[in-house]
Amino acid sequence: MDLDLLVGALTAGSLYALVAMGFNILYRPTNVFNFAQGDLVMLGAMFGATFITLLGLPWFVGAALAMLAVAALALVEEKIAVAPVLNRSASSHGWVITTLAVSMIFANLVGLGWGPDPIAVRPPAPLSTETFELFGVDISSYQIAVMVITLVLVLGVEAFYGTRSGKAVLAVAEDRDAALLRGINPNRLSSWSFFLGGGVAALTGVLAAPVLYASTGLGPSLLLKGFAAAAVGGIGNNRGALLAGYIIGIVEAVAATLLSPGYQLAATFAVMLAILLIRPHGLFGRAEARAV
Amino acid sequence: MGDTARALIGSPRTRPALLFALALALYLAPFAVGTEYRLFIATQMAAYVLVAIGLNLLNGYGGQVSLGHGALVAIGAYTVALAMVDHQWSFWPAALLAMVAAAAVGAVMALPAFRLSTWYFALITLGFAEVVGGLLTEWRELTHGFAGVVGIPKPVVLGHTLSSFDLYWLALSLNILALVGMANLLRSRFGRALVAVRDNPVAATAAGVSLVRIKMMAFITSAAMAGLAGALFAVQKTVVTPDDFTADFSIFFLLMVVLGGAGRLWGPVVGAVVFFLVPELLTALQSWRMLIYGVALLLLMLYAPHGLVGAIETGWKRLRTRLGLSNIPPAPSLAAARETVQPVAGAALSVRDVEKRFGGVAALAGVSLDVAAGTTHAIVGPNGSGKTTLLNMISGFYPIDSGTILIDGRSVVGMAPHRIARNGVGRTFQTPRMLPQLSVLDNALLGAFPAERQGAAAAALCLPRARREQAASLGGALRYLDFVGLADRAMEPAGELPHGQQRLAEIARALVGRPRLLLLDEPAAGLSLAELDRLGELIAAIGALGTTVVIVEHHLELVANICRSVTVLERGAVLASGTPAEVFSHEEVIAAYMGSHTSVGQAAS
Repeated sequence: MDLDLLVGALTAGSLYALVAMGFNILYRPTNVFNFAQGDLVMLGAMFGATFITLLGLPWFVGAALAMLAVAALALVEEKIAVAPVLNRSASSHGWVITTLAVSMIFANLVGLGWGPDPIAVRPPAPLSTETFELFGVDISSYQIAVMVITLVLVLGVEAFYGTRSGKAVLAVAEDRDAALLRGINPNRLSSWSFFLGGGVAALTGVLAAPVLYASTGLGPSLLLKGFAAAAVGGIGNNRGALLAGYIIGIVEAVAATLLSPGYQLAATFAVMLAILLIRPHGLFGRAEARAV
Repeated sequence: MGDTARALIGSPRTRPALLFALALALYLAPFAVGTEYRLFIATQMAAYVLVAIGLNLLNGYGGQVSLGHGALVAIGAYTVALAMVDHQWSFWPAALLAMVAAAAVGAVMALPAFRLSTWYFALITLGFAEVVGGLLTEWRELTHGFAGVVGIPKPVVLGHTLSSFDLYWLALSLNILALVGMANLLRSRFGRALVAVRDNPVAATAAGVSLVRIKMMAFITSAAMAGLAGALFAVQKTVVTPDDFTADFSIFFLLMVVLGGAGRLWGPVVGAVVFFLVPELLTALQSWRMLIYGVALLLLMLYAPHGLVGAIETGWKRLRTRLGLSNIPPAPSLAAARETVQPVAGAALSVRDVEKRFGGVAALAGVSLDVAAGTTHAIVGPNGSGKTTLLNMISGFYPIDSGTILIDGRSVVGMAPHRIARNGVGRTFQTPRMLPQLSVLDNALLGAFPAERQGAAAAALCLPRARREQAASLGGALRYLDFVGLADRAMEPAGELPHGQQRLAEIARALVGRPRLLLLDEPAAGLSLAELDRLGELIAAIGALGTTVVIVEHHLELVANICRSVTVLERGAVLASGTPAEVFSHEEVIAAYMGSHTSVGQAAS
């Protein structure tokens, strides 16, 4: 396989891992898998494109505003579509349909507001998507930045789970009632995780925009690839998601070269099914504790 | 006037008469109002209804959200189109192949998902729909790419080519068959097991239901129905293209089910009709359509989780209440129910050196105990001493770290919990695990699941063999409800029973499975004094049938009265074992239990 392809594969894989991390941040304390996560990423890309390309704001300001806006929308989602369902019955899976409905609403509102044409976004000042040769491989400074930022974010979030507050987050996932008894408010934690998950999604979208363009089509495709990375890596495991993201990026690149770009998704899907068939909880996941 | 209304609404014959009239009207309608366009729309709607009925089985009753049913319809439609156009097959074998193809492809996709949490299935089906949609254009050698398959001939019967009238009647008949079959299936052991998988997987497992197999049964049934609908879709449209099966197509079916009423027999029918008629009125709002659907889906899930049919049901019940009619159906009376309960050959239990750690904590550190066949044994000990963990090991809900567990000399270590249940181990839980929406009788009948042998097809067709089995189970369930003293509440929703009676109903469910070893986890917790006496008599009666009973209990007086032997656990180890008299005079036991030197006998009395 061509090494230039590998660079593209790992860049895409990093973005998938970031989407998966957004899922995980939300999932760990709430046990909710947000079906609108792909659209939150897409919204991040659209807001970023609007602030940076259309309004001409500096990159960092635009990115920060986009994160704030999407985090707020994610919070609204939690209040409207998730909390009411979980309050009715904590074990119900009604949120599968309600977050899916939110995804439809977001996607179509963006379609109505921004229209179907993708918007090009330039990377922040010193970085560029122009490729140069490094050790015989064509690579751009922006690709390097995406890979490094992803690595730092994943390790940073994992380090957070080692701290006291991080352990509190995990405790709620294990046992909501017991956490409540120890003074952790699961409802507030749930709101916070949606807020943060939304922020991470927006950052992913802003980072993805120069590579993938900002368009409504981003939502469904990133939802599925992010899920594939999360599932293959083991739900909740961000380091696993990073490796799984790389695997999926490589599978895509190989499928595109050997078969045709049209078979990318089919190949990814087949690989994911095969891995889940052999290891239901992913490559680096563990079985959830049974509640009897 | 009021009397006439009451007589009409109260009569058990009103419903079948109405349904018969409806079916007749639908069969005759083409003669009165049948234009080609209307027949086209009606036939297409019937195909959608077929998909929605199948999806309702999976989603409404089984709780598994499929976002890929559109892709299954596509597989069915393309199978028929390609078989008939490229290979000159006749419609009938092609339609059969469409059902098999949709079910087989779907099963391969669903297998990994069903071993995991519900939402995996939703996402995997969503991915499946995207992949199939992509392959329809991409795999040109097979699917003809963007152009699709054109010129699909109409089905032929004995040399007669079906007209659009015939096609409508065929589709209508398939809908009626599907509804009747579904009603039969839902009344059988499969319907109860599916609801149990949705509402209380733990209860389903304890009753001997394999979660994966039941979900697979529901999925394959609904996939085959989607494949058949695809076959109809292909021959009535005469052309299929990838554009017919967009990503939104799958969402439509979910919307139909949720709109009409998930988990209601008529939900998908009502949902499909409304879904078809509303867009005709909303053509001006084309670009807002998916947004409106999204909002509708959200509002329905939040405010009307049982959809339109659920709302009508609520209104109907209120009307009946106002007319002074009861909403609780009369209990079936059966000669078999009056027979007495039959004795059971109890199983011996032997637990040797069982260890279990949760993280760093040793929940059980080498526990051994023996229970002779047909005797009643108690496990007592302070909270956190490992009693319930031990029950969970014996019934297979948790894997053990080391040691052996033998039931009648056979090892059950590593066996799946539903298999252990099928081998004659019944159990109850600290908080009763009931299916709150089902009647007490249906809850009890769940216990008969493993004993019945009928397959899903026999149940859907209501074959005489299946009917005999169902009658036998019904007799058994009524008998055991009578045995625990709940016969008069058999038809009430289990969720409306007081706590103590839910416990009794759970015991009845376990007994219906005729367990040779019955594990009761704190059955006396939260019972009133009168209920406690009744429970003591009941456990004694269960023991008298020959069943081996292992009971985890804090209530020492109860234990002393009904148990032949007792094991005391403390911090995961056996502190003492023997007869109740021996154990309760044991110094260390008294210290562990009371923290002082009072005698247990005094404390209990």
